[in-house]
Amino acid sequence: MKGTAVTVFEILRFLIIHWKCDIEVSKGVLLEGQLVISIEGLNSKHQANALHCVTTIASAGSLFGGTVLKKFLKEIQSILPGISAKLTWTSEESSYSQDMTGVTPFQMIFEVDEKPRTLMTDCLVIKHILRKIIMVHPKIRFNFTVKVNGILSTEFFGVENEPTLNLWNGIALVVDSQHYASRPKFDTIESYCSRIHPVLGHPVMLFIPDDVAGMDLLGELILTPAVALCPGPKVFSNQLNSISSVSIFLYGPLGLPLILSTWEQPMTTFFKDTSSLIDWKKYHLCMVPNLDLNLDRDLLLPDVSYQVESREGDQSQNMDLQGQTLLLFLFVDFHSAFPVQQMEIWGVYALLTTHLNAILVESHSVVQDSIQFIVDQVLEQHHQAAKAQQKLQASHSVAVNSIMSILTGSTRSSFRKMCLQTLQAGDTQEFGTKLHKLFCEITQHQFLHHCSCEVKQLILEKKDSAQSTEDTPDNSSLELLTDTSGQAENKRLKRGSPSVEDMRTLYSARAPSLSEAALGGRAPTAAPLTPSGREACETHSRALAPGRASLGNRLEDALWLQEVSNLSEWLSPSPGP
Amino acid sequence: MAFAPMGPEASFFEVLDRHRESLLAALRRGGGEPPSGGSHLASSSEVLASIENVIQDIITSLARNEAPAFMIENRSSWENIKFEDSVGLQMVSHCTTRKIKSDSPKSAQKFALILKILSMIYKLVQSNTYATKRDIYYTDSQLFGNQTVVDNIINDISCMLKVSRRSLHILSTSKGLIAGNLRYIEEDGTKVNCTCGATAVAVPSNIQGIWNLVTDAKFVLIVEKDATFQRLLDDNFCNKMSPCIMITGKGVPDLNTRLLVKKLWDTFHIPVFTLVDADPHGIEIMCIYKYGSMSMSFEAHHLTVPAIRWLGLLPSDLKRLNVPKDSLIPLTKRDQMKLDSILRRPYVTCQPFWRKEMEIMADSKMKAEIQALTFLSSDYLSRVYLPNKLKFGGWI
Repeated sequence: MKGTAVTVFEILRFLIIHWKCDIEVSKGVLLEGQLVISIEGLNSKHQANALHCVTTIASAGSLFGGTVLKKFLKEIQSILPGISAKLTWTSEESSYSQDMTGVTPFQMIFEVDEKPRTLMTDCLVIKHILRKIIMVHPKIRFNFTVKVNGILSTEFFGVENEPTLNLWNGIALVVDSQHYASRPKFDTIESYCSRIHPVLGHPVMLFIPDDVAGMDLLGELILTPAVALCPGPKVFSNQLNSISSVSIFLYGPLGLPLILSTWEQPMTTFFKDTSSLIDWKKYHLCMVPNLDLNLDRDLLLPDVSYQVESREGDQSQNMDLQGQTLLLFLFVDFHSAFPVQQMEIWGVYALLTTHLNAILVESHSVVQDSIQFIVDQVLEQHHQAAKAQQKLQASHSVAVNSIMSILTGSTRSSFRKMCLQTLQAGDTQEFGTKLHKLFCEITQHQFLHHCSCEVKQLILEKKDSAQSTEDTPDNSSLELLTDTSGQAENKRLKRGSPSVEDMRTLYSARAPSLSEAALGGRAPTAAPLTPSGREACETHSRALAPGRASLGNRLEDALWLQEVSNLSEWLSPSPGP
Repeated sequence: MAFAPMGPEASFFEVLDRHRESLLAALRRGGGEPPSGGSHLASSSEVLASIENVIQDIITSLARNEAPAFMIENRSSWENIKFEDSVGLQMVSHCTTRKIKSDSPKSAQKFALILKILSMIYKLVQSNTYATKRDIYYTDSQLFGNQTVVDNIINDISCMLKVSRRSLHILSTSKGLIAGNLRYIEEDGTKVNCTCGATAVAVPSNIQGIWNLVTDAKFVLIVEKDATFQRLLDDNFCNKMSPCIMITGKGVPDLNTRLLVKKLWDTFHIPVFTLVDADPHGIEIMCIYKYGSMSMSFEAHHLTVPAIRWLGLLPSDLKRLNVPKDSLIPLTKRDQMKLDSILRRPYVTCQPFWRKEMEIMADSKMKAEIQALTFLSSDYLSRVYLPNKLKFGGWI
């Protein structure tokens, strides 16, 4: 990572940790606020072919109390001394009167000399980081402005009012599929659901190898995976939608994007082996790492990417480039019986960025089991749904042929005439075509209504009609700034489609008990589960375990609807916009 | 009437004749035959029109962008069945139904198969040809899956259209046998004489088509098992007890066997008796002949003979004849459940003697096959047991 991007991320990371820990934001509440990041680059007077970049990070509104401002300054300076930049702080506490909530705005500035190309890369990295942050902190918004020798570029990052899935510990996953994968071409809009439907896996405790130097943790590292297909089809085509790629997103404590210290290397050893997390042979797929991760794209860039090289038994090389992407989110969190200090979080984060590979290798078995289980569920679910659709279509084909047989065989002209008139067909051939089309439409209608999003939409629209304007998105504080290079990130939903912040996920009800999953059948050499860790895991497992029985037999009917209807006691709706 | 007069003297049948008189008196009191309900013998044009109406309804639903569905009566639900002493089990007039939807992955296949079989029936009726249920299944065995699916759909269609299966031009495969004092002419003109000595005649597949039935028989004996039937044939029972008719459905009777028994009763009003094993399965088979089955209750009027009497083997006979215990078999759990089920059925209430026999079986927890009587002598059944029962009115 380069100077500006590193510094920006360090500061943002510190802000979020501080925000969460010291401001005593309750665990279930999402962080909310707006930050403005601006970089102004002018030709450096001290270095040839370089730009003198002044980066400003400021809050657009209030973030936290002025009483802790000094402490914040002291701490951040102790955290960031290694950054080769001049860090200045502008505290405006004297000029701002504290409002009722006791918060004041702030501004930080640092300066770095960089080559123009480096700055460009840094900007792309920053944008990637911002995207990753807002994907799990949907109420944080960023204005990112870059001005180089007078040429201005502005971009807004925010996903407020987009559908989210509340996770835990004050983070929520944005489930609008447009962030994760581009829509397949030549498919009708109606074919695909606009949302992903993550399936949460059973949380597992990660083991830290003995030889990994680091802090003594007074808690446990817990990894919770989530899997989703993107885009999620509403209506399944005749052929099973194939998976063409896998995107893995890594998140550390408090939903901080896990930017590994090996960023510049293609991927860690652990992820180089594509079967380290998921056994692809089960699905007759051969995955290879995708090293072509282009920062310059509007989609959320995965931390690790695989693509399907071939399918076993498939001799052709024509891979379905428009297939679906399997999204895998790995959330690593830190749980402790004691109040977690921000330095602890900072330390855990550093541990993960440096030693994630070793930790995952050490915990390989339990991690793989947890992920494999939900991947099996998601893909099996998908497969069953496609099979049900195929069965339905096959049945309709028989029905159409039977009706045609009777119609064409009838000698009663009044009957034939009535049938043709009813469908407004000129002849039996046209009648047959229309008949087939009508049966197809009722099939699609069946699956459309069984997409959980549609159901939730219907439920919420009914609620909306009775509610006041409190659900109406308040856009007055948002400044939707268009940029000259890319599209704005803030995608507002249509009126009448309020954000869904209490979507439920599907849980693996057959997941092993936490102790089994965590221990993975082996006796850990590290310290046994501390009460805090156990409690955290049990909280998770209580939340996840009372899920449903296998979907296998019930996937034939109301697939998504059944999943949506499952409620978990610990998933509480976050406050509305 | 040229039947060989090998049977007992006329006085042997006195009790039987009195029994027949009482049956005829009961019939006269009941106002003759009960009106036929449920399905009827429809003409070809009626059947074709019914099917076309079904298609029209489906197309109308589709035109309204509604998924079409069939409303099928729940034939196998007790809540849809009532018992009448004169008819047996029959469907109530307002039945509960179930919906076979075309847009549900669960039921879409059945919806399609119903249409498929309707289209096949349509062609059969149009071309005035017939096919058995087995033939239907084999037209596309992969599509249908198994014979039971076809059988159930055909019954559902018969019930839905209120048309007898015969009118749908679908025949059931006969497995029954007849022997004795009976002759008739089949639809194609074939003359059949069931008086064939040691051999039996297969129950014809077109019962409704047979005509010119002629018999002197004093009784009809329904035999549960083919083994017993053959034994009686071997013992020349039909001639020894002449004039009589013997019939077997070889276990659970097929439709044609039941139709034939019904036809014999409707035509001649001669006493009908059953000879079944003294076990719950045998009793249940007897009940099918007498009162009908749940699944075919929609055609009860064409199939049941409530006048049937239980001749043997009665559980009380086992004690009376001192059948040794090693000839008896303990009731299995399944037997117990079946016996309990039969005891709860509505028709047992009006059959106190049957109930008592079943209670004897339940108390002893033992059952016996007819073959148990061979402990006395190999021909005890045909030489002593049955003649005594018939002569002295040992039926209930």
